[in-house]
Amino acid sequence: MLKTQDLGYWYQTANEPLFQNVNLTFDVGKSYAILGHSGTGKTTFLSLIAGLDKPKTGEILLEDRSLKQIGLTNYRRHDVAIVFQAYNLFTYMSPLDNLLTAMAITNAKHAGDKAYARQILKDLGIADDQLTRNVQHLSGGQQQRVAIARTMACDAQLVVADEPTGNLDEDNTRAVIAQFQKIAHEQHKCVIIVTHEPDVAAQCDHQFRLENKRFKQLA
Amino acid sequence: MNFCKRAWLNVWAKKGRSILLILVSAAILMFVLAGLLIRSAAIKATDQAKADVGATVTLSANRQAAFKKMQSSSSSSSSKSSRPKMTLTPVKLSDATKIAALSNVGSYNVTSSTSVNAKSYDTVSTSTGMGSGNSGGPGGMKSTTSSGDTAITGVSATSLTSDFSDKQSKIVKGRGITTADKNTNHVVIEKDLASQNDLSVGDTIKVKETSGSKSTVSLKVVGIYKASSTSASSAGPMSTDPANTMYTSYTLANTFKGSKYQGTADSVVFNVTTPSKVSSVKTAGKKLINTSKYALSTDDSSYQTVKSSMASVESFANKIVWLVAIAGTIILALIVILMIRERRFEIGVLLSLGEARWKIVAQFFTEMVMVLVVALAIAGAGGKFVGNQLGSQLVSQTATTTQTTSSSSNQPGGGGQNGGQPSGQMGHGGPGSTSSSSTQQAKTKLAITVSAVDLAELGGFGLAITFLSIMIASGGILRLEPKKVLIS
Repeated sequence: MLKTQDLGYWYQTANEPLFQNVNLTFDVGKSYAILGHSGTGKTTFLSLIAGLDKPKTGEILLEDRSLKQIGLTNYRRHDVAIVFQAYNLFTYMSPLDNLLTAMAITNAKHAGDKAYARQILKDLGIADDQLTRNVQHLSGGQQQRVAIARTMACDAQLVVADEPTGNLDEDNTRAVIAQFQKIAHEQHKCVIIVTHEPDVAAQCDHQFRLENKRFKQLA
Repeated sequence: MNFCKRAWLNVWAKKGRSILLILVSAAILMFVLAGLLIRSAAIKATDQAKADVGATVTLSANRQAAFKKMQSSSSSSSSKSSRPKMTLTPVKLSDATKIAALSNVGSYNVTSSTSVNAKSYDTVSTSTGMGSGNSGGPGGMKSTTSSGDTAITGVSATSLTSDFSDKQSKIVKGRGITTADKNTNHVVIEKDLASQNDLSVGDTIKVKETSGSKSTVSLKVVGIYKASSTSASSAGPMSTDPANTMYTSYTLANTFKGSKYQGTADSVVFNVTTPSKVSSVKTAGKKLINTSKYALSTDDSSYQTVKSSMASVESFANKIVWLVAIAGTIILALIVILMIRERRFEIGVLLSLGEARWKIVAQFFTEMVMVLVVALAIAGAGGKFVGNQLGSQLVSQTATTTQTTSSSSNQPGGGGQNGGQPSGQMGHGGPGSTSSSSTQQAKTKLAITVSAVDLAELGGFGLAITFLSIMIASGGILRLEPKKVLIS
């Protein structure tokens, strides 16, 4: 589904790349973990496959179409959903409005369908009385579940998550990872999680470690 | 239209911020509205002044030409004893009739002034110390000079004179002089003179001519008028008391002046129906008269006074509108810039979802429009009050300035339009001879009302200010990279 071809990126000069000649393939129905120490460039890699930035060398192909051809805004709108460590919800909205807004922006199949959005949130354990409450009144775990629900409500086949469990306790971490597995296996989406926690990575179908500017497959 | 819903959710969720924005916008719009209201009221007042004030064209002897003629005669004459005198030619009524037939000329008033001496009554004396030397009165010496103690103002009709039309003088008993009084000995006298001599309507008084045969003439009192108290003070030190002025038909005044004055007048004042056409009436009138002997002068001072006063108010109002609009745009732009900086994270999330940048700008604009609608209602209610306060302050300041200028140009004893008076004419200011511009100033008040058009105009200004503010602030949105905001 998603391929990187000779992907490379640097911040200062080409002589000091974060990574180079990265050739990876990600398929639907599977979950992937990208492990690495802080500063190795795993989040930068995620920003590239999420369409938030452009690679310095190489390219990213979605169904054999370059992101340049698709256009980054179009790509973000229709093909990728992002979950952030800090949840990145609309703080002035309720969980329900967060989902409906994302569905409207991405022109999702169920855009405007309140019942559909409610069901997704309920499935993720958001109680009825919390659906229309401001998201800031929810706990961190609940907010991350709303963020995950947002990716589920949209039709994007690729879900990328940047340290999604970074602010969560053990129970919430387990629940969130289980949810990502569900998205990959039941909704047949491609889930890519960037994490520095080996336990989280271990629950994914495939693991890559970014080390010495190269990606190394662990499992 | 999802951005509209987002805008509404944001405005509703952040009530405190929205209320502050509403208050700031309302304050800006209130001053813009005040400016707009003053401007439109000034335009209305000017239009009203055009309709109300009126303007006149006066036909009189050409003093300038007569003076030049006298000077040339003087230079050719070496003897001091034979020094030439300035001769003013009285206006021919036949010329006046021709000018009256011109378009835009409404009514006209013939004025012929002279003086007579009291015979059967006592004139009112002025006890100001100066200037009563030539007036008679109880115990006073009757004047034997060619200048009499009673001023005669011969007119076509008293109602056509500025004194009566401006309510400086008003008939308190009987009636005024009308065109029907032509060739009669009817007279309208002043109330103080009537009281002093126990005269009432229907009584007969006797006067003695100051020129010609100096015969005694009986006059019938048909009306009594009251001159305003201010007019007395306007008379100069060398003038008689305004109470000693009588109004008669101009034919009678001409009779007092002598037979050669039949069919003539000192001046004829034509009322121009459309003040802006004064110049064209003057030009057309000049073609009908002998300009070496006669002059046509225009008097649209009242109109010009109101016009210039309102123009200055209008100009100030315009400055208010533009200054407040510019300042408002800057203030709102700064607020929106700060607001956008505060919402960078939200913008990043929207961009990460694939939202178009213009829709994000549209969301901010919609939020501001929602704020604007409420601010507009508040400004609509408060703008009238601010406009009234500001407008009356402006008008009173302008009126004070204009009256100061006007009073400095009013010389004591000024003869007004009676430039070509024959000998025997008194140099009095006459009742109500103060500048009519001061009267007009009192009339000129700004009628400040908030109409739908004003609100629509204000809404337009508000939208423009909001749009500019958002455009200035949206530069940040257009440059914002979601990665920099969301992934640090």
